[in-house]
Amino acid sequence: MRDRLMSGMIIGLTTVIGIIAFLYPFWLPTVATGGSGGAHAGTAPVILTTLVGLSFLALLLEAQRAAEHALLVALLGVLVAMNAILRFIDVALPLPGGFSPIFVLIILTGYLFGGSFGFLMGTMTLLVSALITGGVGPWLPFQMLTAGWVGLTAPLCRGPIQLLGGVGRYREVLVLAVFGAIWGFGYGAIMNLWFWPFASGPVEQYWQTGIGFIETVRRYLTFYLATSLLWDVAGSLGNGLLIAAFGGPILRVLRRFQRRFAFVLRHAPLSEGL
Amino acid sequence: MTPRSLLLVHPVTWTIWLGTTLLTVSLTRNPLYLLLLLFGLTLVAETERPTGRATPLDPIFFAVIAVSFGALFNAATIRYGDTVLVALPTSWWLIGGPITLEAIVFGMINGLVLSALVAGFGAFGTAMPISALISLVPRAFYPLAVVMSVAVTYVPLTIRLAGQVREAQQLRGHQVRVWRDGLPLLLPLLIGGLERALQLAEAMAARGFAADPPSNQVRMMLVGGLAALFAGLLLQFAWGQVVAASVTLLIGTALILWALRESGQQAPRTRYRVYRRGIRDMMVLLGAGLTLVAVLAPWPGRASLAYTPYPTLQLPIFEPLLAFALMGLLMPVAVRLGDRYLP
Repeated sequence: MRDRLMSGMIIGLTTVIGIIAFLYPFWLPTVATGGSGGAHAGTAPVILTTLVGLSFLALLLEAQRAAEHALLVALLGVLVAMNAILRFIDVALPLPGGFSPIFVLIILTGYLFGGSFGFLMGTMTLLVSALITGGVGPWLPFQMLTAGWVGLTAPLCRGPIQLLGGVGRYREVLVLAVFGAIWGFGYGAIMNLWFWPFASGPVEQYWQTGIGFIETVRRYLTFYLATSLLWDVAGSLGNGLLIAAFGGPILRVLRRFQRRFAFVLRHAPLSEGL
Repeated sequence: MTPRSLLLVHPVTWTIWLGTTLLTVSLTRNPLYLLLLLFGLTLVAETERPTGRATPLDPIFFAVIAVSFGALFNAATIRYGDTVLVALPTSWWLIGGPITLEAIVFGMINGLVLSALVAGFGAFGTAMPISALISLVPRAFYPLAVVMSVAVTYVPLTIRLAGQVREAQQLRGHQVRVWRDGLPLLLPLLIGGLERALQLAEAMAARGFAADPPSNQVRMMLVGGLAALFAGLLLQFAWGQVVAASVTLLIGTALILWALRESGQQAPRTRYRVYRRGIRDMMVLLGAGLTLVAVLAPWPGRASLAYTPYPTLQLPIFEPLLAFALMGLLMPVAVRLGDRYLP
């Protein structure tokens, strides 16, 4: 109970700090115009980026509890290698828009093996694939964090799946496909936010300090519609279709191996050993 | 190009060099300096590239695309600047209105900044072997460093297995016509990978691998640190209590860093390859330090880092002393050439 409480607190606090940091352009102007913090609008990106980095490290330390046994370390390593190759294909071949095959395994493993495992799967996939494709850049920590969130939230599908009749039915794959499709948009929208406040362009599409909440939302939507919507539609459709087509067979294979990877430590009484 | 893959400079020195490069590029909007940095960083990447290894992303090629795209995008969407080249009908959605030379130049500068950043990361990635990158992972995250090592090692093995599965399926008459036909390739690959993961896990367990989970004390420190950060955020941005916020944020940061340190203490580290610091590190650090002083210290030449083409395009100022200081980032080239040609 205490263990779950601490885990929940770490994940919850990290998520809240991450959400505030990613969405600060939406609420900071409101604060600035209110007169309590306007002077700090300029330093906000630096402070929030540092806090996101620290929160990310804390979450990574907590999530790596999922990789404390040799079985899980090996499983994670091999699955990350397979996913990194899928990313390599994604980089090498001109796939349409934001379509990327890496999210299928991140979502399915997060759903089956738990949020921490899914989080590690997401972050490590992006890290390893960046190393082998030469894709290390300022965007990498944000990609790792967002892909980690995809895996971390995958267990949320368990509730709707139970409501719709439980595991092993086609509705299970359907729920996961819809979840993947939603994250197709979510991943793109969140990844925009790390650079959007710093970018420059048409006034009606970019953020300026003190423009207010409604105006910020309106400008972001205009920017999103003009630059990202079509890209993310491809990503969303790709996630949904891939999970719908391959999700069922992959889940069956993963479940078969889940039993072989699962183990329970039983401390035998001393007399039995003697 | 270097004839062998050999790290002449300590990984931490390379990391400091990268940090200085990113800061310098981020502070520079003068296209002349940006061009200088782009070519200089490309040169660093090229001298560090081992013979026979292809460049993952050619920085100059990337720059051509990024600068062109930046110019086109800005020209089509920005309506500011005095030098109007052509005026499109205002009824055209998004792109209608005057196209100005200043907007084009501004877009090109954006592309140059991005290209120089990519060139800096490219040089760092080319110079650093993956083993050196893994050695930079803090001790607190050593299970993840093992995962990373396993994944990097298994990438070529998995590619080989994929080829074997494809050949076997072809012999059985399987042809990939549509994307749905990929399943008979994917599933054997997944099953084979998972079987190998089991074998690897047994080998690791037999060699005594076990990762200690963070203790409850460490986790309590993490919870406390995150709670302090959250409280600091509210104090700073919602209630404007700057002093209280700074203190709370500092306490939160210290708690999280302390938790990482404590967690790392539980993991003893042994090194297969030991990187030592020497005179070459000193040279690279001095070069980076020279650049850092030039871009941060308050002196008259520093003002030339800033440049804006608006409202009327003017030539950027070129300060030779600053340009010389920026060349401090090329010290890895001198180190590599010195190793190659000097006894």
